[in-house]
Amino acid sequence: MPHESPESALERWLDEQTQTSRRAFIGRAGSAGLALSGLSAVLAACGGVGGEKGNTVDLNATGNHSAVKIGALQFSNWPLYIDKSVLKTWDKQTGGTVNYVEDINDNSEFFGKVRQQLVAGQPIGRDLVALTDYMAARWVRDGYVEAIDKKNIPNGVKNLQPSYLGVAWDPKRNYSLPWQSGATGIGYNTKETGGPITSLDALFDPKYKGRVTMLTEPYDSAGLTLLTMGKNPTKATLDDQLAAIAKIDKYNRQGQFRRFTGNDYSTDLTKGNIAMAVAYSGDLVQLQSDNPNLRFVYPEQGAMLFTDNMMIPQKASHPYAAENFMNFVYEPAVAAKIAAFVNYISPVTGVQEIIAKTDPKLAQSPLLFPDTQIRKRLYPYPTFTPKQEAAMQAAMAKVTGA
Amino acid sequence: MLNLSARRRRKLFPYLILGPGLLWLIVFFAIPLANQAYVSLQTGDPESGYTFTWAFNTYPDAISTYSDQFLRSFAYAGVATVICFVIGFPLAYFIAFKAGRWRNVMLLLVVVPFFVSYVLRTVSWQLILNDNGWVVARLRDIGVLAPDGRLLATNVAVIAGIAYNFLPFMTLPLYVSLEKIDRRLIEAATDLYASRATAFRRVTLPLALPGIFAGSLLTFIPAVGDFINAALLGTPNQYMIGNVIQSRFLNILDYPTAAALSFVLMAVILVGILAYARVLGTRSLTEAAV
Repeated sequence: MPHESPESALERWLDEQTQTSRRAFIGRAGSAGLALSGLSAVLAACGGVGGEKGNTVDLNATGNHSAVKIGALQFSNWPLYIDKSVLKTWDKQTGGTVNYVEDINDNSEFFGKVRQQLVAGQPIGRDLVALTDYMAARWVRDGYVEAIDKKNIPNGVKNLQPSYLGVAWDPKRNYSLPWQSGATGIGYNTKETGGPITSLDALFDPKYKGRVTMLTEPYDSAGLTLLTMGKNPTKATLDDQLAAIAKIDKYNRQGQFRRFTGNDYSTDLTKGNIAMAVAYSGDLVQLQSDNPNLRFVYPEQGAMLFTDNMMIPQKASHPYAAENFMNFVYEPAVAAKIAAFVNYISPVTGVQEIIAKTDPKLAQSPLLFPDTQIRKRLYPYPTFTPKQEAAMQAAMAKVTGA
Repeated sequence: MLNLSARRRRKLFPYLILGPGLLWLIVFFAIPLANQAYVSLQTGDPESGYTFTWAFNTYPDAISTYSDQFLRSFAYAGVATVICFVIGFPLAYFIAFKAGRWRNVMLLLVVVPFFVSYVLRTVSWQLILNDNGWVVARLRDIGVLAPDGRLLATNVAVIAGIAYNFLPFMTLPLYVSLEKIDRRLIEAATDLYASRATAFRRVTLPLALPGIFAGSLLTFIPAVGDFINAALLGTPNQYMIGNVIQSRFLNILDYPTAAALSFVLMAVILVGILAYARVLGTRSLTEAAV
């Protein structure tokens, strides 16, 4: 659209903003709102007291929260990550009031905000938070979360897809329950690539020099790069990860990558500034409505699978209400409503059948419902010790200039 | 007795007026600064926390690791300041001397961009400069850009963005100092057979020095610490020291390095200003004021 006036383009861009999914939102709002965000993180950081650690966590622990009258519930989640009518239904059913706050824009940033209370063993004023795997793992191993009382979550026990059990940091899901999952693969613009993309090698193809974006997040970028090196990213060692980052560095020096992005690749992708991006699956469902030339592919070598996990922070005031809410969102009908709105992969069984009744086309989308063939190629993040994680992030930060 | 206390009160009065400002400075500047100094000497990691260990080596480490971003920040800010001056001086001159009844309208126009949020203005440049946009297409047509050339994600876009965003900070002080020049001085110069160019060089320009000094500082200092333009219009290869501090603080939670980098930045700017004030500032400023 070369003749579009900047004003109308900007207006349209803002329109796009309001309807994008949470990952897209974070990135753009993230970079756009840099100046505004994180004041509390800064303030929290300033105290800078040393941390207490070393309490080993019993992964077999079970919570015991007897039923009480449900009142208030504080839930912190990512922006645009729920159909808000679901909240009202829960309020009506239980007589409680969920105070749903979209104040998680970045795992680290959120951790920075509440770290001092966590370290001091104090409540953080929230009954439920949703954090991505590696950060959830950190909270579990450092004892920042309460064990869940599964007696209060029969739906969770019954309807959680079995593939979500067995994660190293919480194998029995005694501390966490998945909220939504998504895949990190390649998002591309068919007009710019001239055809379908199937392989991760395309990211490193000199044909697309300067027209590819990567994510700054090493779990995603290095994971996908490892797949091009024939390694299983879930079983990656630190050395593997560093080798993948070295490969990214080498190609970056040759000008292969236009940028390293948070989730702000979407503008470049819809505008055709880049041919392809390392992208999140749920975003592309949304972006396709703006630009029908956009595609998401689970590359033939595989894609990364991330999960955001609901957890009850230590000393939360309303653990029973939190568990009741988790139980509620694990009702397939409720989960279907959420999945249809956010376009990510629901961890709840029976969602596909329900969506098929109202939107058969959406029920066929591999982005929401990857089949078993695809699922085999979805790799969860590896689990690292804090030291290894820090080393990996330092190496990636060096490449991305941060 | 009464007399004494009245005199004392009169003596104290200036300090009392100073009170609110002083309090503000202590609470919002001195204390955070001291805290930041304390944080910068800590070691640790985000998960287990940071402890105070007199870790002075954070400073040399931070400087050597991020020397590229430091140099880039000063280079970008320097070039942008020069661009602002080249555009801003004729503009301010025109508004002050030639705009006539349009003066207020033009001044308003200079300030109008401030009505829109800084971030939003920069984001709109993303659209204007996009690879398939009109601007890039025309520049490719006339051969300024190679057929596959681009503006976004280059030094040019970031510097242009900074220059655009800070232009009013240059223009307004220049306007103020130009506007208050006594026109009779210029007339006198021309009466004494100075050519227009000489009159400009010997009279107008020296009298505008306070404006040049203020304008360039008001542009340069915030530009050095800017990170919005590099984040939105550039890539990691354009990242400035502000981007590093921002991501160290908010994303990587490496508070000591972020704090140390902030201190280094402040120190370098402070030394730079002192040198600048010595060369251009104090002497010419006092002369101009006389």
